[in-house]
Amino acid sequence: MTSIISARGLTKRYGRTLAVDHIDLEIPPGRIVGLIGPNGAGKTTVLKAILGLATFDGELSVMGKNPARARAALMEDVCFIADVAVLPRWIRVWQLIEVTERIHKGFSRETCMEYLAQTKVTMDHKVKQLSKGMVAQLHLALVMAIDARLLVLDEPTLGLDILYRKQFYSSLLNDYFDEERTILITTHQVEEVEHILTDLIFIQDGKIALDTSMEEVERRYTELMVRPENAGRARELKPLYERELFGRHIFLYDNVDRKQLTELGEIHTPSVADLFVATMKGGKS
Amino acid sequence: MNRLFALVRREYWENKGAFRTTPLVIGGIYIAFLLMSIFTTAHFDNEMYTFREAVRLLAGQTPEFRAAHGNELILGSSVFFSLVLAFVVFFYLLGALYDDRKDRSILFWKSLPASDTLTIGSKLFSAMVLAPLIFWAVFILTQIVMAAIASLMVISVGENPWTLFLSVVNPLSAWGILLVSYLATSIWFLPLYAWLLLVSSFAPRIPLLFAVLPPVVFAILQIWIAFLKTFTFNDSLFGLIGEWVANSPAIISVGADGSKGVLSLGIPLTSDFDHSVSLANILDRLFSTQMLAGLVVSAVFLALALWLRHRATDN
Repeated sequence: MTSIISARGLTKRYGRTLAVDHIDLEIPPGRIVGLIGPNGAGKTTVLKAILGLATFDGELSVMGKNPARARAALMEDVCFIADVAVLPRWIRVWQLIEVTERIHKGFSRETCMEYLAQTKVTMDHKVKQLSKGMVAQLHLALVMAIDARLLVLDEPTLGLDILYRKQFYSSLLNDYFDEERTILITTHQVEEVEHILTDLIFIQDGKIALDTSMEEVERRYTELMVRPENAGRARELKPLYERELFGRHIFLYDNVDRKQLTELGEIHTPSVADLFVATMKGGKS
Repeated sequence: MNRLFALVRREYWENKGAFRTTPLVIGGIYIAFLLMSIFTTAHFDNEMYTFREAVRLLAGQTPEFRAAHGNELILGSSVFFSLVLAFVVFFYLLGALYDDRKDRSILFWKSLPASDTLTIGSKLFSAMVLAPLIFWAVFILTQIVMAAIASLMVISVGENPWTLFLSVVNPLSAWGILLVSYLATSIWFLPLYAWLLLVSSFAPRIPLLFAVLPPVVFAILQIWIAFLKTFTFNDSLFGLIGEWVANSPAIISVGADGSKGVLSLGIPLTSDFDHSVSLANILDRLFSTQMLAGLVVSAVFLALALWLRHRATDN
């Protein structure tokens, strides 16, 4: 299987700081990958390198092309939304559709109109007259009407209300995604995306802290909730992370036999958010 | 080609106010002034005696005289259009690679499969061809309206506008040479345009400052050093820029030729070349060593602008 994105030793320096530190990545087609990390971990830098918006050291190939050299050619097959507020404010909706249609071969005006018909956006609106949610709907309609193989979403729902965020992800999953396409998402709101992700990449201080599939997460990681009297025994099993909630101790384990854990208390598959916190804390120590 | 066309259209949409409304307003001002002068004349002289006499005097002149002066009048009235066009193009280029960085919409434009070279090409094309063409077209429109008003006036005093000027003055050659002059001026000022694009591709804020300050500081240092060395004010960058404007193939000034004023190319400060308005003289400016040097400078500025645009993102 050929990878959509393949990186070897991807590195980006800003002056003396190392924003991205020798990252290796391999993203096959047909996946929805969450790129998750704290502020300043280098997520956006990685995305910018992938999109041909930044120079970098190391090897990076996106659908066989070097993004730093072939951005324009690459954009035939890649779409991105780098947060919602980047549509030019002076432009009218019909002009935006017109210019996208003429420049993008894979753009379908029909599909775009279908999406827009479900919104309050009209052709004569200027972008600056639209609310933030409507701009996001417009941008999403544009992007989903483009037949691209890779969709990159950088904080796509920042500043949007919860109703719209839910709708956004459901149309993304139901109307857009298929086995041919790959979606790469960064977000702070991990809870919202965890049900649609197929793969997870945690990034910390410019390095990959975790790169795994969601099935793997379910198989490997276990969360255990125990009463205080069992906490000592639970600690002996070397948890990744420990926290307290309403007097209960919660432990997170990597590759520990579930049978053994069941004897101590209740077990669950951890949420991505808890796994994220555990990985970040673990990485620090 | 389709993509370039789409990008140029986008420039037109974004700059409709500057590219289209501005010349229309100037045309409107011309027509308003014409009407005002007619009403003023009529107010003080309701028999239109003076006007009638003037028309009769004009009709008494030879057709050649009327043709030559009609021509001068057409080109002369273009000067204000040309100066405003220069302002429009200056500020357009200053914002061309800056505005979308400032409002972050560069992230949208860069998500389209259009190369940075094509983007810069579309901006240069808009400045060098699109804006001059629109100004030129609106200028012609204005003159047609003014000729119609003048014809009505001539008819109202019982003379025939057709024999008086409509059939005598051939506006096509004047309009043609104006268009050639516009396009030639675009090429002539390419070094300046390229500089503005370069500034607009890197200025973190207030591109005007970055466009004007470095040459001013540079020129002042030059003048100061020259003064320390020789106690004279020799040539500096200011001198060079001034000379560049003076030698341009734009129809912008009236030079004194004997007793009467004659339109000229650039500003006839020196007699290094022939400043009279003709196709040959315009082309002569384009095929000069000055122009060649200018093109080399332009190429350097444009290459730098392209390199910076290639790297530019939202921050």
